[in-house]
Amino acid sequence: MKIAVLVKQIPGSESALPISGNHNWIDEGQVSFVMNPPDNFALEEALLIKERRGDGEVVIVSMGPARVQKVIREGLAKGADWGIYLEEDGPIETDPLSIAKSFSSVLKNENFDLVLTGLQSDDTGMGQTGVLIGEMLGMSTGTLAMETDVQNGSIRVKRELESGWFQWVKLPMPASISIQSGLNTPRYPSLRGIMGAKKKEIKVVPASEYQSIAKSQSIEKIFVPQTSKQTEVIEGDADSAVARIVEILKSEIKVL
Amino acid sequence: MIEREVLELDVLFVGAGPASLAGAVHLQRLLRESGQDASVGVLEKASEVGAHSLSGAIVDPRALRELFPDKNDQDFPFEAEVSEEHLYYLTETRKIPFPFIPPSMNHHGCYVASLGKLTRWLGEACEKDGVDIFCGFAGTELLYDGDQVIGVRTGDRGIDKKGVQKQHFEPGADIHAKVVVLGEGTRGSLTKKLLHRHNLMDERNPQVWAVGVKELWQMPAGIVQPGYVAHTMGFPLGHDIFGGAFLYGMKNDIWNLGLVVGLDYKNPGVDSHHELQNLKTHPWIRSLIEGGKMVAYGAKSLPEGGWYSIPKLSISGAMLIGDSAGFMNGQRLKGIHLAMKSGMLAAETISKALAENNFTESKLGDYEDRMKSSWIRDELWKVRNFHQGFDHGLFGGLTNAGIGLLTGGRGWGFKNRLTSEPGHLQLEKGLKKDRYKDLKFDGTYLFDKVTDVYHSATAHEEDQVPHLHVNEPDICITKCAEEYDNPCKNFCPANVFEMVPDGENQRLQINFSNCVHCKTCDIMDPYQIIDWVPPEGGDGPTWINL
Amino acid sequence: MDILVVLEDNRGSLHRMSKEAIAGAQKMGGSVSALAIGSNADALSGKLSGVDLTEVITVNHDLVSSYNADGYSEVVKQVIESESPKTVVIGHSYQTRDFIPRVSAKLDIPFIPDIISLEDGFVKQVLNAKLNASVTTSADQVILSFQSAMFSEEAMASGSCSSRSFDVNLDSSMVRAESEEPFQEAAGSVDLESAELLVSIGRGIEKEENIQMAFDLAKVLGAEVSASRPVVDSGWVEPFRQIGSSGQTVSPKLYFSLGISGAIQHVVGMKGSKNILAINKDPDAPIFEIADYAVVGDLLDIIPKLIEALQTEKDL
Repeated sequence: MKIAVLVKQIPGSESALPISGNHNWIDEGQVSFVMNPPDNFALEEALLIKERRGDGEVVIVSMGPARVQKVIREGLAKGADWGIYLEEDGPIETDPLSIAKSFSSVLKNENFDLVLTGLQSDDTGMGQTGVLIGEMLGMSTGTLAMETDVQNGSIRVKRELESGWFQWVKLPMPASISIQSGLNTPRYPSLRGIMGAKKKEIKVVPASEYQSIAKSQSIEKIFVPQTSKQTEVIEGDADSAVARIVEILKSEIKVL
Repeated sequence: MIEREVLELDVLFVGAGPASLAGAVHLQRLLRESGQDASVGVLEKASEVGAHSLSGAIVDPRALRELFPDKNDQDFPFEAEVSEEHLYYLTETRKIPFPFIPPSMNHHGCYVASLGKLTRWLGEACEKDGVDIFCGFAGTELLYDGDQVIGVRTGDRGIDKKGVQKQHFEPGADIHAKVVVLGEGTRGSLTKKLLHRHNLMDERNPQVWAVGVKELWQMPAGIVQPGYVAHTMGFPLGHDIFGGAFLYGMKNDIWNLGLVVGLDYKNPGVDSHHELQNLKTHPWIRSLIEGGKMVAYGAKSLPEGGWYSIPKLSISGAMLIGDSAGFMNGQRLKGIHLAMKSGMLAAETISKALAENNFTESKLGDYEDRMKSSWIRDELWKVRNFHQGFDHGLFGGLTNAGIGLLTGGRGWGFKNRLTSEPGHLQLEKGLKKDRYKDLKFDGTYLFDKVTDVYHSATAHEEDQVPHLHVNEPDICITKCAEEYDNPCKNFCPANVFEMVPDGENQRLQINFSNCVHCKTCDIMDPYQIIDWVPPEGGDGPTWINL
Repeated sequence: MDILVVLEDNRGSLHRMSKEAIAGAQKMGGSVSALAIGSNADALSGKLSGVDLTEVITVNHDLVSSYNADGYSEVVKQVIESESPKTVVIGHSYQTRDFIPRVSAKLDIPFIPDIISLEDGFVKQVLNAKLNASVTTSADQVILSFQSAMFSEEAMASGSCSSRSFDVNLDSSMVRAESEEPFQEAAGSVDLESAELLVSIGRGIEKEENIQMAFDLAKVLGAEVSASRPVVDSGWVEPFRQIGSSGQTVSPKLYFSLGISGAIQHVVGMKGSKNILAINKDPDAPIFEIADYAVVGDLLDIIPKLIEALQTEKDL
């Protein structure tokens, strides 16, 4: 059973996020980077599937500048078997179709049974990569999996629907599944895991081997959300405040 | 019985700071040269190297040059060579330049640097050299065989705030090492235990401390000159509180603005964060940050005691390096080069110890001998009475320092050694003087503590036992409230300690999640009931270039 | 056609986000049509007969009688190929995330998701809603999904429209999923991020005994309850209710804060809320800087009276 886990390295949410000089992304020199938290859940799920089955291969796949090898090694330290690193030169790609085509061209030769992704990346938040790759590689697709159950040749996933509804869906493998955050508790790497990660293989795919794919969308600029807010101040006694609030809820915000 | 992973290493450095990393790089080189093979690891509680590193800093490149003889200064990750330097005495509104800069405060030939950047760079060098750096692991206990240190236990993970194991509980690991080198930085928690258990401070002056608080300001292009250095005394601290401000020009249009406050003041109301805000009300300082945006905040304590506060440096199986050992030159405001050199000297001793398979106290004591005949000693000996002179206020301290320059470091001109009292004992009971009644936080240039803490990007696993152990919390609401009005809420630069209403009374609330790991509380609490221990590995600030 | 709105069947009725998407499409200008898929397609179409649309296209095929990603994406693909809309518009629901990227890949048309504004290119939130991004495309066609409540369903312009059924080409080899019946589960913790209305409790609530009034208020409003850090730290509500930098980030239609001061660690978790109504005793509380409605007063006085007044409104 061969499982690919796509992980993305993104700016840490603890950092302040300064906008870059040309205003189309943030100034990466001033932020720290972490593994995209939703991907951590996907990785844990892959490791659990491997452990439950008693066999299998978990491969960490990531794309980006040299720094992303850190999250690949993090995955290896947690128990993944080897990694694939798609080198990106220049600014990071944000177009989901381009990204998916790049990954697909590299993944298709590896014949994965499962491709697992986080539900979205917390930087650009496009939330499509897993499903796009699934379509491009002719795999069945499922999203927001709250539980997975791998059987012979197929995988059952418990899809999260809105408002507390769920649905089990059985999909034939190969399948590309996006994993809902919170379905498991990601493990910490052990000391041995960290030491052992050094010895595991990371296959490097140079940009020239997969790039030159035309972009279809791009981020033109990044800006701080403006709040053109007019604040209405309500003072006075409790009764008049209450009357005004009821009015606001009813006629202005319309939630009654 | 908890089952723990056991890892066997030859040498374990605790803390991925400049001392340990320089030590590890040097050790690997020595081992290669002598044809030895040994496993070297570095334990780091932050999730990545540099995240908990904070300093000014102006770095004397001496140790780096020794460590990397093949490199030039341009290869080192400095911001800029010190291009101009100023020393000012500030009043509330004026700035008066010192007529000359004393040679010891002359930073010519040194470099403005970010310690975070430097340690990341050193960390990369280490990993290239085959050293394992274990990030996200905190050393919480020393392992012993009799009186010999044989390793370090890392912290358990997954224990909830009531002390109960959670579902993903993971016990800490036991790392066995022939030598454990403690480079935990200022007021190290394992160091504290080692000093106590083995009486390593006997016959030494008690260590005295300061706390440095700083902000990074992003300025519009073209305003900041990288390499610009200014130090000030006077306002806002006045003459009775040791310390002063620093302003360094960094790359990328960043002003690095900070204040060092000696932790031996009398007024329990002193709040280093508020003093920093007050500093920014000075018209000159305010003009410098006009139009800028505060982008980062942090704080860290500093060991100021100097030569006579350096403990015995080794026992069987363990050694102390860097700030944990108190290697800081208070007068030059530099400690990074000393930290690195101490790590390198320790490495030399360890290399020999490994060759002879002898890690006893006498063998490891070779490190202290090396240190005493190195330039660490030369440098620290000359300023051995620096901080102690300030017990007599600012002018007393400056005078003492001045005379010290002439007498090769003697205190008051003739005393070989001045003694000192621990800073926390200087707090005066019942003294109530509000230094901040006119201080208003405008949210643009002056910030309240909570807003500043947000910019330290500090985060902790919420559901864990608070890592600030207050051993007798009753004292807080009785004795301390009466005698000192709970100075913890003032001396903590991160708003960890708050006295909140509890019915008719008050209780101590510990907002441990705000902690920036500066250790001021451990140092300054007048009853010494606060014990700072590492929280879960990976927790704490996420400093990038502090 | 200019714009095709893909509708979602919410267990027999038209999903609220579909109505919002129609309102949005109408605002964008040009000819707007809609597409309904599944066994309820005709019923959904019927509901839109009084709405200003060119037509509602209905697709009712056995293989898409109920939702599945393979079938729905193939249907949408075929409709787009046949009708050539410049823009395809849909609400950003869980279902959209599940199948629209398939359409995007099938037709090589970019999908720009979770849009909050059309005023400066296509604007979406990035980096945990800390910043906004203006996305542009050079493609001839584009698929857009709108964030919940970006447009208002009330703004759907009325008019009239016809209905037309569309024949799709599907065979069973295309539909690979075996889906079971959806079911409900009592959530262990509430997903605050998807709550439309939040009543949020701060230190101003003063005592544990007063927490109940916040829950009562939430009940009468049909809202969920969240809280700021100090309230969680005191153990008065469960940790999952915490909003802020070390809790959840939310952007509900209404964030009704009670006695929250507005420290930055809290504000970063809720400042994207569409309407912020704050009650605080302190006229200088920082929360008022980001509030739409600032009620300066004692919440302990106001809330019980408010609950009564709202109950009366409800009974009317």
